[in-house]
Amino acid sequence: MTPIVEGRGLTRTFPMPSGPVTALREVSFQMAPAEYVAITGPSGCGKSTLLHLLGCVDAPTSGSLLFEGRDVARLSESDRSRIRLTRVGFVFQRFFLLPMLDAWENVELPQAEMGVGLAARRARTRELLDYVGLADRARHRPSQLSGGEMQRVAIARALANRPALLLADEPTGELDEDTGEQIADLFDRVHADGTAIVVVTHNPVLARRAKRHLVMTRGALGAHR
Amino acid sequence: MTSRALAWRTAAAEPARAGLAIAGVAVIGALLFDMLMLSQGLLVSFRKMLDTSGYDVRVVASDAFPARVDLTNASAIAADIAGLPEVRQVTIVRTDRAVVLVPGHAPTDVALLNVSAGAERQGWRVVEGVDLGALGRPESAAPAVISRPLSRALGLAPGSPLPLRALTSDAASALPILRFTVVGIADFQFENDGPHVLATTFEAFQRARASVSSDVADVILVASRSSTDAASTVAAIAGRRKDVHAFSNDQIVERFNENGFAYFRQISFVLSTITLGFAFLLVATLLTVAVNQRLGQVAALRALGVSRRRIASTLVWESALLVGTGGLLSLPLGWILALVLDRILRDMPNIPDALHFFVFEPRLALWHLALLAATGLAAVVYPVWVATRLPIAATLRLETVS
Repeated sequence: MTPIVEGRGLTRTFPMPSGPVTALREVSFQMAPAEYVAITGPSGCGKSTLLHLLGCVDAPTSGSLLFEGRDVARLSESDRSRIRLTRVGFVFQRFFLLPMLDAWENVELPQAEMGVGLAARRARTRELLDYVGLADRARHRPSQLSGGEMQRVAIARALANRPALLLADEPTGELDEDTGEQIADLFDRVHADGTAIVVVTHNPVLARRAKRHLVMTRGALGAHR
Repeated sequence: MTSRALAWRTAAAEPARAGLAIAGVAVIGALLFDMLMLSQGLLVSFRKMLDTSGYDVRVVASDAFPARVDLTNASAIAADIAGLPEVRQVTIVRTDRAVVLVPGHAPTDVALLNVSAGAERQGWRVVEGVDLGALGRPESAAPAVISRPLSRALGLAPGSPLPLRALTSDAASALPILRFTVVGIADFQFENDGPHVLATTFEAFQRARASVSSDVADVILVASRSSTDAASTVAAIAGRRKDVHAFSNDQIVERFNENGFAYFRQISFVLSTITLGFAFLLVATLLTVAVNQRLGQVAALRALGVSRRRIASTLVWESALLVGTGGLLSLPLGWILALVLDRILRDMPNIPDALHFFVFEPRLALWHLALLAATGLAAVVYPVWVATRLPIAATLRLETVS
């Protein structure tokens, strides 16, 4: 079975005034379809950098990345954008919902970008908001929602185009413990429905829910003991 | 959701920013609109003034027109021109200075406009009484049509006697008092806030001041036949008379455009450029600040697969919304401002009532909107570049830790 995403010897170095900083060192990583992986590690160890590479929003300094068998380095920005739109869903620590749109419209936006018809869009949006338990908050703007509700809307938005891979960067970082558990429950459901998930987190509860737990230290990836 | 709808929602979500931008563009756009009207206003109103006089060719003594040089032997020249097949009517015009001496009133300076009898269209419109030619050729008193301000100042009405003394440079000594009779009161097209205007026939004036008659005119006005254009008439006059210079209205307007009115055109060009610069800076600054405030959102949208084109078109629509609304508001605002400025400028000495500095033309409104649209597009280039070229991963990282 072709992995959804496969990194081989991924290295990412950032040029800094004081000299280059290497965030990732020769990381190799493979993600099977419908797998659920958690990556933990101290701040600044390169977790988010790896996530950005897997999501095709950044490019490795060296090494290669294959997304569903395609070499990402050979793709145009337009092609990478298309992969992100159709095959990847992103969930961010700070939600990044559009504040001028309500929950419904935020979930609709990626579908509209993909050209989904109005009827199908409505049905999918209704289904997703129901899925994350916010059907009754569809017409509320982000400023009228709690942190947990905003993150659930963000998850619904990330799932809007039925991605093969959901990437979450500290999805419970801005939430209290109980709300974090609700988000963890939601990820469990998403995984159970067949979507592969990579979650970068400091939250041990969320990390324990994953089927594979990796630890990153100083840019190197290892299995959790 | 379309880019246009997204732009509208973005603007509506920040009403203060949008309101300030629209108000700024409206004010700047009003100034731009006024500058465009100023660039053409004098020419357009001058052209209209010439055309409504009913004459399409003017014959003068010197090619240095509009500098005034006496046209001598005017009656003979006029008769010669009147004989051309292209010509329908000829009117001799001379302006002299005179003093009206109405008993009970202080001596009043007037500009004495003499036109040859039989002219059907002159530079005035009779509002009371009759025109100069209406009473035939009375031998006893010379007819006069006076301006409304002169009528009000001296309490004159049709039938009133009007004694005056001409002040001509060719008279060796003070001329005798001449007896005119007011036959009509009129609005004069070229009247300004200088001396009041009084018109009489060229023949009547010559008859009244026979002792110093010189048959000199300022200009001979020529009306072409309807089957002939002004250029043909100018050519015919040039062929017949080598001692005079004929100008069509087009040529006169062009000459004023190159000389007298160029000053206003240059001012309006400079100020138009400056106002466009202000509009550019205003919109570019507001959109750049707005984009910088939502870099995280833009990076997140890019991470979610929203295309650069979509991000760019949303910003272009947002710019179009702000500039378009402000631009439309600037039209009535500019119009009101133009009325005020026009009134102020027309208070300058020696500006005819019919001459306007700011004249509306539909094509100017289109130019104004096109210039603002181009400015709006130019202003959005940098914010679009910032939004579409931002490094997604670095921006997300920065926005998360900040």
